[in-house]
Amino acid sequence: MTAQPMSAGTVGIVLVSHSAELAEGAAHLAAQVSGGTVTIIAAGGTDDGELGTSAAKVERGLSQADSGAGVVVLPDLGSAVLTVRAVLEDHPRPGHILLTDAPFVEGAVAATVTAAAGGDIKAVAAAAEEARHVRKL
Amino acid sequence: MSASCEQGVTLAGDLHARPAGALAVAAGRFASAVSVTAGGHTADAKSVLGVMGLGATSGQRVTVAAAGPDAQEAVTALIAILSEATRVGGLDPATAKP
Repeated sequence: MTAQPMSAGTVGIVLVSHSAELAEGAAHLAAQVSGGTVTIIAAGGTDDGELGTSAAKVERGLSQADSGAGVVVLPDLGSAVLTVRAVLEDHPRPGHILLTDAPFVEGAVAATVTAAAGGDIKAVAAAAEEARHVRKL
Repeated sequence: MSASCEQGVTLAGDLHARPAGALAVAAGRFASAVSVTAGGHTADAKSVLGVMGLGATSGQRVTVAAAGPDAQEAVTALIAILSEATRVGGLDPATAKP
C-alpha cells in the first residue's frame, strides 16, 4: 500500500487493481503529477499476493483514504467492481464513497489533480470519469 | 467583479506530466475559467489530461487566458508556474529533478 501525506478536507483516492504493482505504480504516478498532497491508497492483488482483488485490502484502503471529505474509488477491470460493491454493501456509506467508471491511469491522475486543487467528492469523481473523453493524440 | 485576462510565455522545457499537474492543480484553485493554448489547440487549464494533450514543447509560445472574478491572479500564477515548471524538466527519471 502507498500512503501519501494526509491532508484534512481533501478527497482521498483508492486504486483497486488485480495487480499490486499496477495499483502501486498508478498511485506513485498520480502522486508525482499532483504534487503529493492527496492520500492515494493502492489496493491491488489478493491477500496472498496473487493477481486478483481483495475485499480486505479494499476495506482497509477506504478507511485509510478517508480524511472526512470522502473517497473516490477507481477499479481497473470489471471484476474489481464486484469486490468494491461487495465491500460497500457490507459497509454502506452513501455519498461518502463514489465508485467511478474511468480509465485506470488517466482517471487516477485526473482525479488526484482535482483533489489536490481542493475539488469536492463529486468534482473528483467527475474528473476521473471525464478522463475517458480526453484524447492523447 | 468579472474580468478577462490573457498572457503568453515561451516554454523553457517540454510541458510534461509534472508541470502539467502543477498547472492544473493551481488552475483548479481559482474561480475563473482558465484555458491554455499552444500550437492552435486550447485546453481547460484545470484538466491535467487536457493540458498534457496539448503536447507543448520547449521553445513553443503558450497563452494562458482567464475569465472570471480572479482572472488576473489566475493568469499571473499560471504564467509563473509555466515559467518555473518547464525549467525543472519532465517526468523522465533520467533527466527530471524531483
